[in-house]
Amino acid sequence: MDIKEAKKNNATLIMLEGRLDSSTSGMLEKKLLSLMETGEKNFLLDFSGMDYISSAGLRVLLMAAKKSKTAGGKVLLSALTDNVKEVFDIAGFTGIFTIFATAEEALKDF
Amino acid sequence: MEYRLKNELEEIRLLAEAIELWGKENGIPGKALFQLNLALDELLTNTITYAYPEGGEHEILLRLVPEGEKELQIEIRDDGLAFNPLEVKAPDIKQDIDERPIGGLGIHLVRQMIDEIEYRRENGQNILLMRKSLN
Repeated sequence: MDIKEAKKNNATLIMLEGRLDSSTSGMLEKKLLSLMETGEKNFLLDFSGMDYISSAGLRVLLMAAKKSKTAGGKVLLSALTDNVKEVFDIAGFTGIFTIFATAEEALKDF
Repeated sequence: MEYRLKNELEEIRLLAEAIELWGKENGIPGKALFQLNLALDELLTNTITYAYPEGGEHEILLRLVPEGEKELQIEIRDDGLAFNPLEVKAPDIKQDIDERPIGGLGIHLVRQMIDEIEYRRENGQNILLMRKSLN
């Protein structure tokens, strides 16, 4: 998995590529926690380059969403691919997260 | 197809690649392959993470046998601690973000991806016999 990050006006955009699973989710968790430590509380995770997510990935997303919310921020998601969308639906995550078709649209929401 | 993997998480990605290739050669639809790989990932991640608290190298055996064009038989054998995934309580996926506990979704995903699951503990082995419809 590759993680690219870009600081936008009111949020940090994180672009994920590859597989978010039990051997890579720790990488994303570390990245998000270290950004939170610097005071960031708004995140946009863009999934356009990510075709696979397992429960290990869902775990990190929920953890980040809860922590951001406590800090007065939020985690938004964009561009879910079909496979990722299916996992979100089955896990009930479509109801927990706000999901946008594109990163551009999501960024307007912060 | 028979595949043996070591109890290391990195092995799961390699298995997924092997299954993609095997699936294409055997005409298995892409969506079914994704669902199969996700279910195997969840089950194997559990085994590799929790079944060997004493560590050491262990081998997990996976067998995939197509039954005609419509069904796939899946068998997993490991010699780790006894674990019956059928005894895992289903999560409440309607809870909102504050109520929702972190974790506990892996076996739920498996149950949604696979049609039939049977568990046996025999001779110190966990044996999972599963069926997945390919329609």
